[in-house]
Amino acid sequence: MAAKIRGVLIDLSGTIHIENTVIPGSIQALKRLRQTGVAIRFVTNTTKESKDTLLKRLTNIGFDIKAEEVFTSLTAARRLVDHRQLRPLLLLGSDAQQDFKGVDVSSPNAVVVGLAPDCFDYEMLNKAFRLLLDGCPLIAIHKVRYYKRGDGLALGPGPFVTALEFASDVKAEVVGKPQPSFFAHALSEMGCDMQSTIMIGDDARDDIGGAEAIGIKGFLVQTGKYRDGDENRLEKPPFAVCRDFAAAVEQICTML
Amino acid sequence: MAAGTIREEDGRPTWLCRKIHGILLDISGVLYNSGGDGGSTIPGSVEAVEKLKAAGYKVRFCTNEDQCTRQGLVDKLGNLGFNLSASEILSPCPIGRKLIEERKLRPYLLIHPSGLLEFNGLDCNEPNCVLIGGAEELFTYENMNGAFRVLLDSDDPVLMATGYGRYYKSGSDLKLDIGPFTKALEFACDVKAEIIGKPAASFFLGALEDINISPEDVSIEAVMIGDDIVSDVGGAQACNIRGVQVRTGKFRTQDEKHPTVKPDGYVDNLAAAVDLILKYN
Ligand SMILES: [Mg+2]
Ligand SMILES: [Mg+2]
Repeated sequence: MAAKIRGVLIDLSGTIHIENTVIPGSIQALKRLRQTGVAIRFVTNTTKESKDTLLKRLTNIGFDIKAEEVFTSLTAARRLVDHRQLRPLLLLGSDAQQDFKGVDVSSPNAVVVGLAPDCFDYEMLNKAFRLLLDGCPLIAIHKVRYYKRGDGLALGPGPFVTALEFASDVKAEVVGKPQPSFFAHALSEMGCDMQSTIMIGDDARDDIGGAEAIGIKGFLVQTGKYRDGDENRLEKPPFAVCRDFAAAVEQICTML
Repeated sequence: MAAGTIREEDGRPTWLCRKIHGILLDISGVLYNSGGDGGSTIPGSVEAVEKLKAAGYKVRFCTNEDQCTRQGLVDKLGNLGFNLSASEILSPCPIGRKLIEERKLRPYLLIHPSGLLEFNGLDCNEPNCVLIGGAEELFTYENMNGAFRVLLDSDDPVLMATGYGRYYKSGSDLKLDIGPFTKALEFACDVKAEIIGKPAASFFLGALEDINISPEDVSIEAVMIGDDIVSDVGGAQACNIRGVQVRTGKFRTQDEKHPTVKPDGYVDNLAAAVDLILKYN
């Protein structure tokens, strides 16, 4: 008999909402999941949006989610910074900087890079580079190559992180999914182990592949960025493939 | 005596065990240090170049300088006391221009305004390739995006880079070189850049050809003296040219533990290298 399920990790974008739209049935399903008493955490890769902004959005569309339940790649970076008592140079957008409120950024001894077009100029990159050359760690929120903005595709943080890695010979510590440390941190907060935890998400590689790699049961939902056959492109098939979040919750309820 | 230099009993450094016929010299970090007011001469380098020429050596100056024309560089070095001519200098912009013309491409030029002069008259409308150089302050997010989109929109993306250096020294500061920005575009678009300056083999082979040394003739040897462990030393060694690193310019002690490139020798500066050449070669 498999270990009893005690915790559920849930992706946000593409799993329970898409921008300001609820994926149908998700609000009810989340309520139902809460009633079972399992521990719940939300795990998301964000780079532009602070946790506050994200929470406001979710609340506005009808979700009952508390700040302490949300674990973002930005807050993961923040934790890392706090834990190691780093004073980071922040290459982050202004909203994302909110997640670093109160952090000492004087005479920096670390570099944190997110999606920050305003910071990706020669002067700022040089500043970051010199810190890295002096042995400071490089922390990347993620390494996405490009993203879509109003006037077309634009460079993401990945190319600039790569540039800094190449210049300084320092390998970036990428936080956020699919890093094992990201999942592990959420688990330790819930007080659950891998075997008794489920991850629900729409990203086969980052959500499901990342979770399954460390023994968390992956529930792939066929919403958001899911494309036909995504489950077959994984090294290890997901524990379950569900139509949507509500269907995933229904199946989980039978496992408790 | 410089630590780390392997010498035989008579004091002859190993990089001078066999006779050298051609000498390739890097400019920035070897002849002078760039920076604010036209830079400053590295002590002993003016005399060292004079001595080499007086001794009859074939010398070529191999630079990835793309922030001025070759004549501009001759003038700049002239102010520091060096007596060079443009024909002794090999630099990437003229090479890039030739390649672009041969292939009938229209470049998106992400290079320093002073280097643009080498491209006067080229058609740059509706660009279908990218040439990236030491653009410094022009490495803005939007300019990088411009290059990115040209590459993304192209069926067969062509990205040329004047060099692949990681960083260089300017005044007392280390600054990002072209390599990191080239790497960023390579990563973003899944392309491989074509390097037209150092450490490209085509560049070093062109330099040898310029002093009539055939790379096939292993009995005729050349040495490259530079401050960049990868671009100068590694690039030269890949073409069977001996690579000697000076401990001036961008040299850092960590270079001596470089995981892949082991120079044929180290010298404290160009003057020391030339003294050894004149004594033992
Ligand atoms: Mg998602
Ligand atoms: Mg140099």
